[in-house]
Amino acid sequence: MAANTGILRRPLAPVGIWAWMTTVDHKRIAVLYGVTAFFFFLLGGMEALVMRVQLASAESTIVSAATYNAMFTMHGTTMVFMVVMPAGAAFFNFLIPLMIGARDVAFPRLNAFSYWLFLFGALLMNFSFFMNAFPDMGWFGYAPLTSNEYTLSSSTDYWVLGLLIMGIGTTAAGFNFVVTILNMRAPGMTLMRMPVFVWMTLIVAFLIIFAFPPLTIALTFLLFDRFFDTNFFVDIGAGSDPLLWQHLFWIFGHPEVYILILPAMGIVSDVLPTFTRKPLFGYTMVVFAGAVIGFLGFGVWAHHMFTTGLGPWANAAFAATTMAIAVPTGVKIFNWLATLYGGSITFKTPMLFTLGFISMFMLGGLSGVMHAVVPVDSQQSDTYFIVAHFHYVLFGGAIFGINSGIYYWFPKISGRMLSEPLGKLHFWLMLIGFNLTFMPMHILGVIGMPRRVYTYAEDMGFEFLNQLISAGSFIIALSVIVFTINVVRSIRQGEPAGDNPWGASTLEWSIPSPPHHYNFAVVPTVRSQHPLWDENANPVLPPALPAHDEPVMPDPSYWPIIVAFAITMVAGGLIIWQAHAIAGLTVIASMGLLGMRGIFGWVLEPMEDEAHVSVHH
Amino acid sequence: MVRFPKSLTPLLMVALMALLLAVLSACASPQSTFDPKSDAADSVLTIYILVTVVASVVGFAVLAAMVWLIIKFRAKPGVPARQIHGNNRLEASWTIAPILVLLIIGIPTMFWIAGTAEEPAADVLEVEAVGHQWWFEFTYPGMGPDGGDLITANELVIPVGRDIRVTLHSDDVLHSFWVPQLVGKTDMIPGRTNVLETFNVYEPGLYYGQCAEFCGSAHALMRFRVNAKTSANFSAWASAHNSGPTAPEPGTAAARGALGFATCSGCHAISGTAAQGRIGPDLSLFGERSTLAAGVLDNTDANLKAWIADVRSFKPIPEGARFMPAFNNDTVTTLDDGQIADIAAYLNSLTAK
Repeated sequence: MAANTGILRRPLAPVGIWAWMTTVDHKRIAVLYGVTAFFFFLLGGMEALVMRVQLASAESTIVSAATYNAMFTMHGTTMVFMVVMPAGAAFFNFLIPLMIGARDVAFPRLNAFSYWLFLFGALLMNFSFFMNAFPDMGWFGYAPLTSNEYTLSSSTDYWVLGLLIMGIGTTAAGFNFVVTILNMRAPGMTLMRMPVFVWMTLIVAFLIIFAFPPLTIALTFLLFDRFFDTNFFVDIGAGSDPLLWQHLFWIFGHPEVYILILPAMGIVSDVLPTFTRKPLFGYTMVVFAGAVIGFLGFGVWAHHMFTTGLGPWANAAFAATTMAIAVPTGVKIFNWLATLYGGSITFKTPMLFTLGFISMFMLGGLSGVMHAVVPVDSQQSDTYFIVAHFHYVLFGGAIFGINSGIYYWFPKISGRMLSEPLGKLHFWLMLIGFNLTFMPMHILGVIGMPRRVYTYAEDMGFEFLNQLISAGSFIIALSVIVFTINVVRSIRQGEPAGDNPWGASTLEWSIPSPPHHYNFAVVPTVRSQHPLWDENANPVLPPALPAHDEPVMPDPSYWPIIVAFAITMVAGGLIIWQAHAIAGLTVIASMGLLGMRGIFGWVLEPMEDEAHVSVHH
Repeated sequence: MVRFPKSLTPLLMVALMALLLAVLSACASPQSTFDPKSDAADSVLTIYILVTVVASVVGFAVLAAMVWLIIKFRAKPGVPARQIHGNNRLEASWTIAPILVLLIIGIPTMFWIAGTAEEPAADVLEVEAVGHQWWFEFTYPGMGPDGGDLITANELVIPVGRDIRVTLHSDDVLHSFWVPQLVGKTDMIPGRTNVLETFNVYEPGLYYGQCAEFCGSAHALMRFRVNAKTSANFSAWASAHNSGPTAPEPGTAAARGALGFATCSGCHAISGTAAQGRIGPDLSLFGERSTLAAGVLDNTDANLKAWIADVRSFKPIPEGARFMPAFNNDTVTTLDDGQIADIAAYLNSLTAK
């Protein structure tokens, strides 16, 4: 084989650690996202359990206030940015090319780069734990508590820099998926023939592109306030404003809620037809409702700020827009229910989680409408009622939807079925644990327990409900153990899945499980929304080609991980600089150079090495 | 095929809701938003109940529909699924129906918001509240000696039957002023002046309040009380506050404490005495207060002595934060148990008589 010029030889082995670190295959990147998200799910879950142990008794001293505050800060940050978002990204990555009949995403190396930035950003933020600087100012980071005056350690620096780095990766992924979905669909895959999951991904990708800039701006301002003594959020006399942070954060933060929930809505919209054996009721309405939700999602942010004294006009306007967003959400729920009508429903685990999603998310939506009512919010805001609400949306919604997707597509990803009895046990334990944990929180909010308190007095009457909640949280933990056993067992000895174990209708089920690295030997031609149902007699795919005619796919590349590493270490250098200027500047400079070298390497690297093409590896 | 009774999902929910409603009625909390004691909290509760009923009816109806659908249309041998793609008329109707339901709760919401812009009664009592890490300061402009400010802390004393309007500030980070039984919360923001919704308390009593915006390590322990008094008692309290304490009987612990209080007066004020520090909470009429440490401890002699000796054993004050030193072991001023007991005796002697 011809020698590869350049410092690093391109790794062409299909297995082993180097293959994973340099992969640009969307399916492998999906697995990386999924495994990483699950790791952080366990971590964030343990942070939640620490809180539940602490709150199980009044005036408890099991953990300190500082520890508790760090736990709720990192639980929120972890679950939002390191669990639900990357879990969504795992599904986008695995499914979008398969569903639209493409061989990969538009920018495979950028895709790898997104993942590595996410991983390194998350690791950087969590590294603070070992530096005794775990962020403890809340996942919302309200100014001026985040300023140098009130945060003496570098905890907030880790938080800001970690989020900024993850945000770069997320934004890149947003562009990647917009371009992929708009440009790489197979012949005949018109927009209105795309599975709903593809539609929801497209909307999420646009939301990311528009919602992350405000967050990036807010974080950069805060970074400058902290590192360079600028004055965006702190010294009011000098013209800054702590409320500016809240506006920027929630202009990001509310669309972010839809970034978290729309993928789950897409999942259940594709699971329902398979297990009712009929098409989704009102496909067009479900798609448009998703787009309307995404659009309105940018106009409701101040409902997070009803208690900040914006005044009657702003409160009335944002109450109205917030109520309006319930309409397209309701349309979706009704269309899902109508899909059940006339169906031939089988209750496999993915379907159970989908039904769990619809019912639990609906309850979360209704409590959300309650907060839109400004007077009610003046009592509910910053109480456990809010905690109950967004867990019904983000756990009962997003996590149930993601679980449905895992049980549904795991056979496609791994080639093996998950166990149905264990899956059902997982579902029921999670449903019961979930409701035992989060239903009583509504009541706690009504009787006046504020959020983010590490303790409460005995005479407040909060203790019994908190004990129920803590018990429930351990049932959830048990359900996660059952799930883990199920996955490990299935990978070792699961029943082989075959191409289409559920009898589903969309393109990804037309190819082997797991798919070849090039997905489709011949790009299919699509003639309907449900190609595998409508064309049983006339298969969409010709038989696979002999191996030497396999499509040539982009080769692996070192550069994405190198550039992502360099960017993360520049951020790490900034933190080191706070403690030791010379060491910090050295790290920044050397890693900056490495990053520059990486970008040049990336730019100049051919998609496939000539040697590789001629040998047909 | 496993025949799980799918109907369990929503039925379980209904059962849980019922159980929790029962729990709710059993849980009497001094911060319950369902036990209003003022006109403001009452008007919120009316809408709260309306919204809860509407949401519950919709929720149960949709859950019931789902249960019916999954029982009715479970797979049966020989019965294929009907290939329905949609129905425009139905979909239009369930777009319009939520709008109508939303009007039921939206219209009262708008009226309530309009009501917050109304001017309070002419005899409104104006109070300024300032949030500090981690205590509340209350100022009554014009009610102090010689038309100055009357200042107190951590226990807001107000008259019943009179409109109260509280303006809100913060001295450091965000805080939020919340007395669930009296009035919904509004945030205290540095550099801004917020105005709490005007409220009018029905009956005398001690109401619980708490900071509702995360404000750092001791956020959970930033609480306060509202002491609503009859109009006459309120006036008596204010005039006792302004006239200052009568000198304690010489030779008593309180008299020694009054001298010892010089240690404290750099930070704390007692109206009518030389102590005029404004860094910590004002301690005038301290003996009248039901709690200490910002609504956290009962105001007993033992608690007060322990608090002065070592605040950090009660509150998680981070290193470097500006807060009271632990006087049993301070680098600048250490007080022995006797001195602490004297100061405690002095503070508890500060009553309206």
